[in-house]
Amino acid sequence: MKAHLACARMEFRVALTYRTSYLSSFVMMLLQIYLLTVVWSAFYDGRDEVDGVSLSTMTAYATLSTLQYTLVSPWRSSPIDQRVREGKVAVDLLRPIGFPGQMLAGQLGWASAAVPVLLVALPFALLIGAGQAPASTAAAVAYPLALIGALLVNQLLGLLLGMVSFWTLEVSGALMAYRFVAQFFSGALVPLWFMPGPVRAAAEWLPFQATAYTPAALYLGQVEGYGMAAALAVQGAWIVALGALAAFVWSRARHRVMSQGG
Amino acid sequence: MPVIEVADLVKEFRRPKRQEGSFAGLRTLLTREQTVKRAVDGISFQVARGEMVGYLGPNGAGKSTTIKMLTGILVPTSGTVRVAGTVPWRDRARNARQIGVVFGQRSQLWWDLPLRDSLWLTGRLYDVPTARFEEKRRQFTKVLDLGSFLDTPVRQLSLGQRMRGDLAAAMLYDPSILYLDEPTVGLDVVAKERIRAFVGELNRESGTTVVLTTHDLDDVEELCDRIVLIDHGKVAYDGAVAELKTRYAPHRELVVQTDALESVEGAEVVRREEGKVWLRFDPARTPPAALVASVLARHEVTDLSIVEPELESVIHRIYADRG
Ligand SMILES: Nc1ncnc2c1ncn2[C@@H]1O[C@H](COP(=O)(O)OP(=O)(O)OP(=O)(O)O)[C@@H](O)[C@H]1O
Ligand SMILES: [Mg+2]
Repeated sequence: MKAHLACARMEFRVALTYRTSYLSSFVMMLLQIYLLTVVWSAFYDGRDEVDGVSLSTMTAYATLSTLQYTLVSPWRSSPIDQRVREGKVAVDLLRPIGFPGQMLAGQLGWASAAVPVLLVALPFALLIGAGQAPASTAAAVAYPLALIGALLVNQLLGLLLGMVSFWTLEVSGALMAYRFVAQFFSGALVPLWFMPGPVRAAAEWLPFQATAYTPAALYLGQVEGYGMAAALAVQGAWIVALGALAAFVWSRARHRVMSQGG
Repeated sequence: MPVIEVADLVKEFRRPKRQEGSFAGLRTLLTREQTVKRAVDGISFQVARGEMVGYLGPNGAGKSTTIKMLTGILVPTSGTVRVAGTVPWRDRARNARQIGVVFGQRSQLWWDLPLRDSLWLTGRLYDVPTARFEEKRRQFTKVLDLGSFLDTPVRQLSLGQRMRGDLAAAMLYDPSILYLDEPTVGLDVVAKERIRAFVGELNRESGTTVVLTTHDLDDVEELCDRIVLIDHGKVAYDGAVAELKTRYAPHRELVVQTDALESVEGAEVVRREEGKVWLRFDPARTPPAALVASVLARHEVTDLSIVEPELESVIHRIYADRG
């Protein structure tokens, strides 16, 4: 555990060295939040509610999913394919801790570098009226849990996908397709409650909703009471299932390590 | 008791055969045809605790591939490796704690962060107690002269500085075995010397076992008593450096500074230049003392010396002769 924390801290520091991209991502984020409030206001077109969801809840959802996106995003899913291509896996395999654990720890460390940005962005979002307080005490408690769950599900999916590069190095196309599918079904663009029936059913059966929709919906009280526990349980189940699958895939990939160069 | 035991080790790299023509990429993905490259082809050797072995061979001989199997990075296709009681690829993490590795061509340091951070991580990864860590870091900072660049991001370091940093990271947790894969590649004479001195000292003081791969035979000449020479994935020679020389280069040369010398019995004139004559002889048949005496008896000599064959020229000869 100490070793994993140390790996996470290294990636955290690396992320901090890219301060300029930091600043621009911050500006882009605020701009996106603003634009999304404009878009959803136009969509509501003067109505107070659509399908029982108020405009303020909707804009708060858009803000929340934008903010979360800096932490949990399929675009930053895994460094593995690059490390395989450059032969850096050899170095990872010299360390006295497991490979998947190292990758996960590093990714979580990197993602956590976004937390300060979030803390600064939050008041701005509230200032332009795009935010909302948690719907209830239960929501306030459940949200951080769901966010950590989202982080894990997203990273486990990325880990699995990254490990495909032990079989074929031509993963960039598949990775691109994955990201669009994952982003759409996560509910980051359009919440599940506005998806048409069959699409929504598909989204509910896929793991991606656990990476964006679940925490945001819990926060805004769109999922309440027993539903909250169920949503967290679904997330937990995905973490267990994906974790087991990742361990299995790694046990196979282990024999396929080529470690190019040198 | 050998600490490293390698028996009948084989590594094959398989690649789907690249298809030509239309949809080549897709067909390459779907094909079952494979090209097989046998990089290591039945290697066996043993290394005793505290030994320093030069693991040599021409480019593409399979040296790095072997090292990667010894360190647990690669899973062998067949054969066995045991390192101090562990099977490296199976007990990878356990094995990692007892070995230090430096790949000259690939750094283990974190590119974007200061060297200090990489050392810190190493201490954490290997559970080095804080006091011990501080002591080690101070020691290496002094011996490897890291002081001036401890706080510089690794990507800004010169090759020699980076290599010293890598060595420090590899030895920070006192591993009993050190693998060096081309640790002096691209370094200047002074930097090479510093690294050799460091490794030699480790071996003398702590009894560290060293397996060294290099193309600079001065590294081997200075550090190793024993050589394992491989070619095309097979062991071509395994034994003492001195014996390799007598086997492949039995001749010595006597260099005589003299005005006139036509011929001497028991030796052959191989070169003449600026009043110097090079005489090649086989010390087994012509004792050096006798040869020197007979030269001195017949000629006016101002200077003379006997030249040992250099490992460089011996290895060169072996590579040139191979079929
Ligand atoms: N990942 C890989 N896939 C396919 N072939 C490989 C791979 N790695 C190495 N090889 C091949 O295996 C052979 C041995 O390579 P290796 O890197 O072990 O050589 P080496 O002895 O270290 O050479 P050098 O002195 O140039 O470093 C080479 O022919 C190389 O092309
Ligand atoms: Mg090599």
